[in-house]
Amino acid sequence: MRDVAIIGCGMTKFGRIEGKNLMDLMVEASLRAIDDAGVGEEDFDSVYVGNMMAGELTHQTAIASALVDRINLIPAAAERVENGPASGASAVKNGFLAVASGASDLVLVAGGEKMTEADTDVITDLVSTMTHPTAEYVHGVTLPAMAALLTRLYMERYGLTERHLAMVAVKNHSNAMKNPYAHIQRPCTVEGAMSSVMIADPLRLYYACPISDGAAAVVLCPLEKAKEFADKPVRIAGFGHASDVQTLHEREDPAVLKSVQLASQRAFEMAKLKPKDIDVVETHDAFEILEIVQSEDAGFFEKGKGHLAVEKGVTALDGELPINPSGGLKARGHPVGATGVAQIVELVWQLRGEAGERQVKGAKRAFACNFGGFGNNTVIHILERVG
Amino acid sequence: MQERLTGFKCKRCGRVTYPKHERCLSCRGTEFEEVGLGDECTLLTYTKLYALPEGIEMPPLTLGVVDFGGGVRALGQIISDDPKIGMKLRPVWGKLRKIGEEEMYGFKFEPAEKG
Repeated sequence: MRDVAIIGCGMTKFGRIEGKNLMDLMVEASLRAIDDAGVGEEDFDSVYVGNMMAGELTHQTAIASALVDRINLIPAAAERVENGPASGASAVKNGFLAVASGASDLVLVAGGEKMTEADTDVITDLVSTMTHPTAEYVHGVTLPAMAALLTRLYMERYGLTERHLAMVAVKNHSNAMKNPYAHIQRPCTVEGAMSSVMIADPLRLYYACPISDGAAAVVLCPLEKAKEFADKPVRIAGFGHASDVQTLHEREDPAVLKSVQLASQRAFEMAKLKPKDIDVVETHDAFEILEIVQSEDAGFFEKGKGHLAVEKGVTALDGELPINPSGGLKARGHPVGATGVAQIVELVWQLRGEAGERQVKGAKRAFACNFGGFGNNTVIHILERVG
Repeated sequence: MQERLTGFKCKRCGRVTYPKHERCLSCRGTEFEEVGLGDECTLLTYTKLYALPEGIEMPPLTLGVVDFGGGVRALGQIISDDPKIGMKLRPVWGKLRKIGEEEMYGFKFEPAEKG
């Protein structure tokens, strides 16, 4: 396999974006990434578009064909990749494989979602359809309910308290205020989070991500060619992708995200690295409990001790292992198909030293975790600064 | 109405799964026998859901994961205002929710000993 580099990246502002539809957002992010890579005059071989719900939410299908048409990447091989909320990371993975295998020399990966024009009930229901149709969905299960069931298990078993969830929210809000692309740009306090409305006891509104619009994109090429285009290419050192049983109750241990464990192990093996080698992390904190559980199951902290790392400030921007410097899904926002790509964009900026006020000093290696369900499908990427 | 809550016992290795998988989660066997999960289970975790899905009118909706032992569990609605982890429950048939115009039925869980 060839080494693969990210030579350009870009994203739109996340949030409630008035006056721009899904394709407008995808075009904007894609052009920024192409411009950043300086490959405007080059021929692209393939295009992967991460998106979960364009057909359902924006009444447009085959959006990869539409994107290459809008920005003239014709005749690149274009396709949409759907893997629930991990559609973005799955698209990056497919782009990586296309370059690594030698099948493609120049690849665009773009992820996007337009969600804020739909009613919250419609979004909640569409996302709930990721759960098992007869063993979960029909009983009234929503994703917040799943997160709440996991949270209570953690409280019972490991002594996690509501305050820990609030602390993750406070940290991610604070990071997002340093990120001009983030959806949520206001501070939050532990007391404020803990007095927000209860949505699924013990889960309050502030322990969950907002509904957002947005798009993000990256350009990939073989590492050996990267220096022709980029001063600071970033290498994709490894990926891991694993699944688990669909229902929460049938998992070997419902408090363990086995797909995160496996995908992380595979990514670390491929990159020939260990958790201690990582300087900065982006997790899939659609719910704040997930940042804690993922940080453990990925191998950064002992099982059941992730909340203590939050308490000690280990995961803060100036801590030993900053998690979600972008603000995470909680505060950068979660336009589902865009999220996995946006995580990679943030980490590329971090590794290039271009993350401004939220820069993790001296970051050389980064780790991203994107979730394609409620813990039953996980895509991990490990990135490394070159030179 | 279904008489009892059932799982699927693999004829090759004996593993019981709920819901059904076309290949056994342990041994990939493809033949199963439908078996009752039993009348008694324990509450493992629960949530009171206030942001309700379509077709359920009165918040909160209590949902929980129950344990039948031997690694066999199920998720469902819990009929109790005061759920406690570890409490004994039993499956009971009833209306779950409306989806569109259709009324959906299935097993829920109520306290084994009514107070």
